[in-house]
Amino acid sequence: MEVADHSCSSSIDSSNHPPFPSSSSSVVSSNIKRDLSTDLRLGLSIHNNDDCSTSTQRGDGFDWPPIKPLLRSRLADNYVQQQQQRHENSASLFVKVYMEGIPIGRKLDVYAHQGYKALISTLAHMFKTSIVLPDSDDVHWNREKHHVLTYEDKEGDWMMVGDVPWELFLTTVKRLKITRADRC
Amino acid sequence: MLKKMSYSSFPEDVLEHVFSFVQSDKDRNSISLVCKSWYEIERWCRKRIFVGNCYAVSPRRVITRFPEVRSVELKGKPHFADFNLVPEGWGGYVYPWIAEMASGYPFLEEIRLKRMVVSDESLELIPKSFKNFKVLVLSSCEGFSTQGLAAIAANCRNLRELDLRESEVEDLSGNWLSHFPETCTSLVSLNIACLGSEVSLSALERLLGRCPNLRTLRLNRAVPLDKLANLLCQAPQLVELGTGAYSAELRTEIFSNLAGAFSGCKELKSLSGFWDVVPAYLPAVYSVCTGLTSLNLSYATIQCPDLIKLLKLCPNLQRLWVLDYIEDSGLEALAASCKDLQELRVFPSEPFGAEPNVSLTEQGLVSVSEGCPKLESVLYFCRQMSNDALVTIARNRPNMTRFRLCIIEPRTPDYLTDQPLDVGFGAIVEHCKDLRRLSLSGLLTDRVFEYIGTYAKKLEMLSVAFAGESDLGLHHVLSGCDSLRKLEIRDCPFGDKALLANAAKLETMRSLWMSSCSVSFEACKLLGQKMPRLNVEVIDERGPPDSRPENVPVEKLYIYRTVAGPRFDMPGFVWNMDEDSALRLS
Repeated sequence: MEVADHSCSSSIDSSNHPPFPSSSSSVVSSNIKRDLSTDLRLGLSIHNNDDCSTSTQRGDGFDWPPIKPLLRSRLADNYVQQQQQRHENSASLFVKVYMEGIPIGRKLDVYAHQGYKALISTLAHMFKTSIVLPDSDDVHWNREKHHVLTYEDKEGDWMMVGDVPWELFLTTVKRLKITRADRC
Repeated sequence: MLKKMSYSSFPEDVLEHVFSFVQSDKDRNSISLVCKSWYEIERWCRKRIFVGNCYAVSPRRVITRFPEVRSVELKGKPHFADFNLVPEGWGGYVYPWIAEMASGYPFLEEIRLKRMVVSDESLELIPKSFKNFKVLVLSSCEGFSTQGLAAIAANCRNLRELDLRESEVEDLSGNWLSHFPETCTSLVSLNIACLGSEVSLSALERLLGRCPNLRTLRLNRAVPLDKLANLLCQAPQLVELGTGAYSAELRTEIFSNLAGAFSGCKELKSLSGFWDVVPAYLPAVYSVCTGLTSLNLSYATIQCPDLIKLLKLCPNLQRLWVLDYIEDSGLEALAASCKDLQELRVFPSEPFGAEPNVSLTEQGLVSVSEGCPKLESVLYFCRQMSNDALVTIARNRPNMTRFRLCIIEPRTPDYLTDQPLDVGFGAIVEHCKDLRRLSLSGLLTDRVFEYIGTYAKKLEMLSVAFAGESDLGLHHVLSGCDSLRKLEIRDCPFGDKALLANAAKLETMRSLWMSSCSVSFEACKLLGQKMPRLNVEVIDERGPPDSRPENVPVEKLYIYRTVAGPRFDMPGFVWNMDEDSALRLS
């Protein structure tokens, strides 16, 4: 297990002074400053990227935050239940949408849409492009000019949007990607 | 001139009578230190003992010194076991105690255990050994099943209290309740809230019907709401009630039955449970709200508006445990209506999500600290805090004795200034002179520990996570906090220097826990050698600590004082640093 920072203790170790200066000397306060900045960086990195949090940062989810097991397991159950309920009540389900060539993704509430047509229309506005559904009636669409919409499902596979009923799509969609039709 | 009075002129039985009025363990301990004869008299009339660490003394020693004990309270695992930091199989077995007491204390009436491993075998031994057994409280215990409970129910004929608190019980069958014999009418308290399986409702109903003195009943989630009314009608004298699941199809008949049953319970002072609550059924309890002093809603998903309605009806509330759905606005309402509030705990409803799901900030706690003059105990989970808020809280509530703040994301700075929260917590320890318990969180440097060492003279228990910068932090605490008994630390860069420099201090404390810190194996060995009355236990699930390079810190370290020597039940991942092992290893 990695421990965040030992620089300060080691600097005391190597000094010839008594281990604990009675008044806060300049050595100590400079240590405080240095370590503080390290800690701040650490704090920020946790915020920005969940993946890098190690067991010493956030725990493995079982030992932090400090909540007793009975309540902890109830909260976990509640959480799952609520996710389902949110789903059933069509409250909101935000997914990320990416478009080829645009580095920044956008967020979109798929529950706020009644079906594929509404979703496509929102996205077309959002990204200022025309998107077609694979089963579209318009057989004359130009593959180079148009875009198609794909989605990543819970298993992590990328699928064409529109290939399953809308309700089923809502239960499996994780994120969306707009790709040029000729790349598909 | 004062005449010197001879204590020996008092007859022993007079002194014994006087001592019987002294209830606190601390005072009894002081009495026994006065002189040899007081020691003798005191030890023969001590009826109850509390052992804060079951490895600190052997059961034999306790029995020899206090032969007339009727009530025993024992604690096992370190507190951090509550949060999964103590590996499975660590220890804390109660069997050796019960086996010894079986011969030593045939008249034992009460056993209260916390964080101990209790086998069915131990439970079966209880009625066999103690003929007049009355009270069994198992708090956060494990290792037993409903079969052991059945043995208690069937054979403890004068059982008054069976309280399972937050224990982890293997649920073999809900049938164990029917093992209470028809002659059992003595129950005063029954808490089965932690059980997972369904209990026999007919057995429960009959039991309630024949126990006229039942004051406390806490049901588990498997007891459905539509059965609650019937149960309550069997026990209108209840003072404390934990409901089962508080949800049902919305039917006026269920509601009116329930509301009727509640209004018949004139004595109710405490409510808990409310699993899976359907808010539409909450008004059924409105009639008892005025009398309530304690409300535990930590299992209840009730949103702010419903909570506010409920709290406005509870002017006498002294203790509230609630999820963060209460939000700042709910806490403001609490501050306005519950002037007697002494204890507040706010738990996070979604502790695992990165984003806040409710509007609960430091402001809620500030409001309560302003509005509730008796507030003295706080456990507060939140996602943002500021030094300003902490200073305000400290100034508002100098009477605070327990202050535990958990900012969910470790090392979160003051959200207004981006500074560490040192000053804020510093204000807490400076203003709250009687602070006994403190948990720190957020971004903290060694400075906060300097404040704590300087001001927190009455602090008894301190929990630290993801804080500090160097040994100096730990040194401040160990050298400054005169009353410190328990210190638990995780993920802090505290190491050998502070520990070794304050070795003598550790003998005055019950225990020190350090995990994911910077203590070396060498230092542990040294400490074990230097301090023979400390058990220095290295807990490392990666294998023998001496198999790693010297600069690799030990995984977990648990140090406690003991007069019993090294324990005999250490699992393979625990190493005791006693004198012999230190010599052997070096």
